Parts: sequence; C-alpha cells; structure tokens
Amino acid sequence: MTLKIIVMMKQVPDAEEIFIDPVTYTLNRTAARGVINIPDENALEIALQIKDKVGAEVTVISMGPPQAEEAIIECMGRGADRGILITDRAFAAADTYATSLTLAATIDKIGKYDIILAGESTTDSGTGHVGPGVAEFLDIDQVTYAESAEVVDDKIRVKRILEDADEVVEVPFPVLVTVLTGANIPRRATLRRKIDAIKKGIERWDHETLGLPPDWIGIRGSPTIVGAVKVPEEKKRASKKISLEQIPEMIDELFEKGIIKREDGA
Amino acid sequence: MSKLINCVPPENIEEYKNVMVYVEHRNGSIVRGSLEMIGRARVIADKVNEKVICVSLGDNLSPIAEEAGTYGCDIFLGAESPEHRYFRSIPYAHKITDFIEKYKPNILLISGTREGRDLVSRIAVRVRTGVAADCVELDVEPKQRLLISWRPAFGDKTINQILCRKHRPQTVSSRPGSYPVPEKIPGRKCEVRIEKVKLDEKYLKHRIVSRKPKEKLDLTKSDIIVSGGLGLGKPDGFKLIRELADVLGGDVGASRPVVDLGWIPYDHQVGQTGQTVRAKLYVAAGISGKIQHVVGMKASETIISINNDPDAGIAKYSDYFINADLYKAIPIMIDEIKKRKKGSGGAKKSS
Repeated sequence: MTLKIIVMMKQVPDAEEIFIDPVTYTLNRTAARGVINIPDENALEIALQIKDKVGAEVTVISMGPPQAEEAIIECMGRGADRGILITDRAFAAADTYATSLTLAATIDKIGKYDIILAGESTTDSGTGHVGPGVAEFLDIDQVTYAESAEVVDDKIRVKRILEDADEVVEVPFPVLVTVLTGANIPRRATLRRKIDAIKKGIERWDHETLGLPPDWIGIRGSPTIVGAVKVPEEKKRASKKISLEQIPEMIDELFEKGIIKREDGA
Repeated sequence: MSKLINCVPPENIEEYKNVMVYVEHRNGSIVRGSLEMIGRARVIADKVNEKVICVSLGDNLSPIAEEAGTYGCDIFLGAESPEHRYFRSIPYAHKITDFIEKYKPNILLISGTREGRDLVSRIAVRVRTGVAADCVELDVEPKQRLLISWRPAFGDKTINQILCRKHRPQTVSSRPGSYPVPEKIPGRKCEVRIEKVKLDEKYLKHRIVSRKPKEKLDLTKSDIIVSGGLGLGKPDGFKLIRELADVLGGDVGASRPVVDLGWIPYDHQVGQTGQTVRAKLYVAAGISGKIQHVVGMKASETIISINNDPDAGIAKYSDYFINADLYKAIPIMIDEIKKRKKGSGGAKKSS
C-alpha cells in the first residue's frame, strides 16, 4: 500500500515587496510577487523525502486565487504527484475557522490519507492556527513545530522544537504535522516535471465541489471579523546623530539618566 | 471520520461570564506568557465585575494554583494526572473544552507560545468559536462585554481590530512579550479546585520518545540587549557584541539574517519570527532596520543604533544613531562605559 501524503500549501505575497496603501490601509497585492509560503516549502520537502525513501503519493492542495496555480505547478515540478487548487470567490475573507473547515472538507473529499504536512504558519497572516484547526475538524492527531520527520512502520517519528526543549514523538497514522521554517533545504523543480504538471493540469475545486453551503465559508462562515484597521503609532524617537567623537558624551548622558548604572549602584 | 461543522453561535450569549486563562507551566512555575495573560485577564475582569478563572493541566498543580492566585486568579481549575506531565494536543484540548462547557467563560485568553498555538485552534473548533490570533492589545467594551483585540497584519505594517460578536468564549492567542508581568500580591485569596483524572489509553499512542530540555535564552526578561546583524560582516563579529553586552551586564540579540546564516543560535533572534523584547536599553549594531526586526524591539525604552550607512532605516527607530563603523564605535563605547562603571568619579566629563 502506497503511503498517501497531503501537503497544504499557501501562495503568499513576497514579504519584501508588500506595501500598504496609506489611505485605505489595504494591502497592495498587485505589487507583490506570489511565492510559496516558506515553511510550506519545508513541509513539501519532508513529503518528498518520505516519497524518495519509502514511496508515497504526494498531493498538494492550496486555497487561493486562480494565480496560486503557478505555486502548485512549482510544487509538482519538485516532485508532487497531484495538485488541487481550492478557489472560489465565496472563500474570501475566511478566518482561521472557515479556512480550516474548507481545507478539512477538501482533504475529506480526497479521501484516504496517512500524513498531512503543512508549514507551521504563513508569512502573510502568521497565526499558526490553521494546521491544528484542520486536524481537529478531521479528528486526527497532530504534531506541531517539526524540524524533521521520518516514517517508521505505520507511524511517523518527528523531532519537534519547543521553546525550552527538543522533543521526539511517535504518532500512528493518520496524523497532521506542521513544519518549521528552515527545517531542510528544499529541492529545486525540474523543467521536465513542470511541463508534465502543466500537461496533467491542476484540479480546481469550489464550494460546490466540496459540498459546503455558502454560509459555512468565507466571511459568512467566519466567527471573527476585522472591525477596524489602524497604522501602528510609532513612538517618535530623537534619532540623535552621534559621531565617534561624541560617543563619550552619549555615554555620559546614559549614566546620568540611569539607563546604564555604575557598579556601586549610583 | 470527520466532523465538519460550521461555526454555529450559541443561543444565549448572556450566559457566558468571566475571563478564563489557560495556564502553561514548566518545572513548577508558570511561564511568562501565561502570567501576562493572568494580568490582562484581571484588568478586563475588573472592568466588567467578573472573575478570573485559570485552567491548567499537569502532574502536580498545587504550586501552580498558588502562584496563579498571587498574580490575580480568583478560581483555579486543575486536572491532575501523571500522564499530564507532558503536553499532548488531543487530551489537553478535550479537558480544556470540558472546563469551557461547564463554566461558560465569556473570554478565553491563551498565550501564543508554541504550546498555546498548538492548543488554541483545536479548542476553538471544538467549542465552535473564533480566535483572534497573535494579538498585541486587548481590551473590553464593558456594556456588551465585547472583547476588543488588536493583531498586527502584513508584517506589522497595520494593526487590525478583531471582534467575535456572536460566538463564545471570545478566544484570543496573544503574542508573548506584549504585556508586562503583573505585580504579585502574596496571600491573595484564590479558590482552588484540582481534580484527579485518568488519561484514556488511546491517547498514549502519541508517544513522547524523548525530551531534551535546553537552556534557552529568554530575551523577553532582559533589561539590556546588544544585537548584531549582517553589518558585522563575519560570524566573529559577535565576539565584540558579546563584549559590549558583558560590560553593560546585558544579553546578546541578533537579527534574522545572521541566525539564518548560522552565525548565532535562533534563541538570540529578535523580531517577527523571533522574540519580542522590551529592554530598558537596546543596542542594534549593523542592523539595517527591516520591519521584521523592528517589530521585535521597538517597545524598548532607549534604543541606540550603530550603522555606517547614513540612510539606514534603523535610524528613525533610534534615540541615538551612531553613524560610524561599528568596529570603531563599539570599542570606544566599551572603554567609556568601563571607565564610568567603576564609579571612581569618572562618570563626569572625561576624555
């Protein structure tokens, strides 16, 4: 029996290229290039390493606008076998609940799976909440913040990195694993595989394919809303320019203000 | 077997009262993030005349309950089991959900540590509510007891107000380091209810093979931090950074690029994907001032930056901007600080 792995991937605007319209406070997405969310690349790489070692069928799913297709092609170019784009205007403005529900419904429709992999958070919204939300909807176990993972019989063995400890856990299938940024070095896509992927095509599913009522998804299915947006108030700083010669003076000031303290506490 | 279900709101949200906090602990004491949440819960509960309820799981909870009480908890609910010694997502989420269903809190605060983020959305899906994720400001509108949460978006370029009007509890995961630790009040009264529970065998299939504790640098507690960035030019540059930090009695921080390059371990990283610090003095050496770094240090009281680029973005976030080669500036700083530290009268105008 071939292992079945699903990788949840999101196309995000390149963080370096994001800019905010100063009047409307909205994200100017047209200016930013779409890239694969960084830890999702690491999640895909773990899936492909498992495929190399023990054999697996790797399906990449992504929820997003039609142009997210190029990110799925890139994943298939690296070695994923199947790509599904979950795209529908009705999914817009989904919060973590509605997003998790939509992804879980997609996985449910795919049917059989052993391992679900995803990046631990996205660089554009960064909640880290969608992975565990999907696991809860699917009623399966989860392992978060993985640095590496390998298949041992019918279990996955994961090294996870926590604030105060490194943990190794073993969990039977099916299981969802979220992967840390920098967990590995993702392989490059080959042109031949990319062409194959384009020929094969990407499946496109909408809310009807998934059998999700419109009031379960997008903004209507989201318990949280964005009430207002503000630009953070920056504390005005003096930005006092100091030359090498003025450093002693600056240090004096820091002592006088008590920012640096003398050894005798004065 | 899945249980896909939409987020059906409860019928009578007036029934939901009090502010619940999930308390995470290590080696017999509450982690900083949870202390911040107890402090914030106290402020919110006082505004609407409600109680602070702390919930926690573990193998020995009495010291945790006592500590929670001194920080502002009114009712402590614990579930004790030898198998609760280590966190496991599913049994933890189930037990916290039981507490929520029994006590019906209006608000649930969870610090967004790795454990907290692992847990919070499982709980929210189980009880069918929304999560305001990664929040940095929390307040309550007293009339409707509506929680007003603010979360940074788009690399912290804007802050979005998140509301959860119809679902309860209004659940939040808060960015650790966003709030100060509250004052301790020894002997404060707190009602403690700790029950013994038995973990279902099936959860033990999630086997913790090994757990290696590590010394982790907690910069959120540091008063003085000296950070280095790409401008150091070489990994060795951190020796000079360390020297300045030592003279100041502070810790060493770093920006993300140098951590990615392996010049210094991740636990030194300050910024969006590292730690959020609020130092009394923060020195940024050879750091250009990308927003991803700035969001992690801008809450510091006094900021000094050192950069040889006169147009470095870091300047506008600095009280003092030393526009010079850091390899020249830092040795001068070290000398001048050493002279005055001794307290031999050298603190007045010298050199």
